[in-house]
Amino acid sequence: MIAWRAMGTVFVKELKDALRDRRTLMAVFVSSVALGPLMLVGLSQLVGSYEKRAEARTIVAIGLDAAPTLRNYIERQTYIVRQPPADWEARLRDSKLGDPVMVVPADFEDALAHGQAPRVQLVYSSANGRAQGGVRAVEGLLQGFDQEQAGLRLIARGVAPGTLDVSRLDEHDIADSASRAAQLTGMVPIFVLMAILYGSLNAAMDTTAGERERGSLEPLLATPASRAAIVIGKWGAAFALGLLIAVLSCLSFLPAQSLLRSESLAALFRFGWVEAACFIGLLAPFAAALSALMMAVAIRCKTVKEAQASNVVLTMAVSMTPMVILFNQEGESPWNLWVPPLAQTTLMNRVLKNAPIGALDVAPSLLVCILLTVAALAFVSRQLTRRAAQ
Amino acid sequence: MIAMDDLRKVFTSGRGRQARSVVAVDGMTLHARDGVITGLLGPNGAGKTTSLRMLVGLVSPDSGSIRVDGIDMRDDPQGVRSRLGVLSDARGLYPRLTARENIVYHGRLHGVANDEAQARCEHLARLLEMTPLLDRRTDGFSQGERMKTALARALVHDPANIVLDEPTNGLDVVATRALREALRVLRDETGKCIVFSTHIMQEVERLCDRVVVVSQGRHVADGTVASLCAQAGCDDFEDAFVRLAFAAEGPRP
Repeated sequence: MIAWRAMGTVFVKELKDALRDRRTLMAVFVSSVALGPLMLVGLSQLVGSYEKRAEARTIVAIGLDAAPTLRNYIERQTYIVRQPPADWEARLRDSKLGDPVMVVPADFEDALAHGQAPRVQLVYSSANGRAQGGVRAVEGLLQGFDQEQAGLRLIARGVAPGTLDVSRLDEHDIADSASRAAQLTGMVPIFVLMAILYGSLNAAMDTTAGERERGSLEPLLATPASRAAIVIGKWGAAFALGLLIAVLSCLSFLPAQSLLRSESLAALFRFGWVEAACFIGLLAPFAAALSALMMAVAIRCKTVKEAQASNVVLTMAVSMTPMVILFNQEGESPWNLWVPPLAQTTLMNRVLKNAPIGALDVAPSLLVCILLTVAALAFVSRQLTRRAAQ
Repeated sequence: MIAMDDLRKVFTSGRGRQARSVVAVDGMTLHARDGVITGLLGPNGAGKTTSLRMLVGLVSPDSGSIRVDGIDMRDDPQGVRSRLGVLSDARGLYPRLTARENIVYHGRLHGVANDEAQARCEHLARLLEMTPLLDRRTDGFSQGERMKTALARALVHDPANIVLDEPTNGLDVVATRALREALRVLRDETGKCIVFSTHIMQEVERLCDRVVVVSQGRHVADGTVASLCAQAGCDDFEDAFVRLAFAAEGPRP
């Protein structure tokens, strides 16, 4: 029988078999396709709530009636002063109150008038993320008040307020909008990598350890189809499923953008058709190598359960390797491009930053993936007959 | 026509001083003719399954030769496999595929065109009385239904030689009788060469035209049931088998 026809027959059968496993497919779909966009929407809601609070320009304060100068300054900055509820301390601890509370002492105005530094308390809980987020705004407001008062005192003594300004600091952020956006979109490569892993895993195990477990490998090898054709057909199905889930995962981020609740986040999140296509192109060789490696691990196992346990090391390696980028503060190293999936993560991040990618950047990981795929498939082919008879 | 001559296979486990060798097959010879059901009879561990695995190419013999319809296994293993229909002791099915899909899949791997594989599937379903099962997923099939599907899968490419490794294991009386009847039809109407491995005397007596007795991996005797009884000097076939198979090990109760 012509080898390619056997390959095609095995490929179609394995794909059909895998696509009928609805329960597994649904679990993969939820964990790999829906989870990323859901997290993105959740993140946007969090950022949106911060923005909403910042826009509201509210300050929660106690005792501000005893400090008309401070109150006047705060109101001139267009802030609205709100009284906290009676149980504000308990609410802060329970994260039910989302603003820090400024406590102004009763002698504030008197101390201010006598040139003493009145002590204002800012009460918040570091376990309450929302309230902690508002601390900087209140600090900035009080610094502004201090500067204004200090300036007035200097003027009253005939000293120019600028005397205290020894130097000036002008901040200049050279990151372009794409690079700034990559801080947010940086989560996308990790989700897409995991999508390949979960997409291929079940097919890779079912076509090898699964065949052994249900006793269907021996009859399969009693057919005249060559071992290589059988292995390539099976690998093709595992690879196609991994890539399909990766494509769905990439595409799921496109409509998810319209659900973003934060306008600034929506402006930052730059993930369009071009980025999705680049991702898929970069990930295809990795999906090929990963599915072949998972088959090579699983063919040595007698049951799918054993194969799952054996593949944990590979799963961990795939999920942990991209973390090198997070921990490495010194930027990209040349060896990063030789280690899948670190290379894929690095290159996907470059796509997100709109940085140039040359053929020499892609070549190392492509070469490594091709070598891994060929070696793993040769191993599976050699093991197939040996394991069938065990 | 299947000819296995002087096959030998030793399995070695462990390495170095821990290595242990087990002689699984030691001088096995079997000649099975077309139009004849040849029984391969031996006690558990006699080397029947290993011999049949060598015939299919799943295990390589250390020495000896295998020829199927004149084709040498060493020269053309794929040619040998294409002439064999094998129902091995591992007869797992794909639970998410229907019986028809399981059968046609193997037909396609044997190089049969899709239409022809479908037609063969229908024909075998009628022969094995499993037509109502064809479009059901095999998940949840009974032992008998699984056996019928596995047998149809082994025969879908209309092989000239059929090899069955203990096919009645786990089958009830009705399914066993149905299998025997199907094998008689295949022998009488199409002149297939059938090799039937078993350790059950009654099956051999009722079905096999010739019997090859194996013990401890060796060919011990062969002939018809009657000739083996005469050779052993016993009226009862079971007594004859025990005498022939265990002669080398000394007397048995």
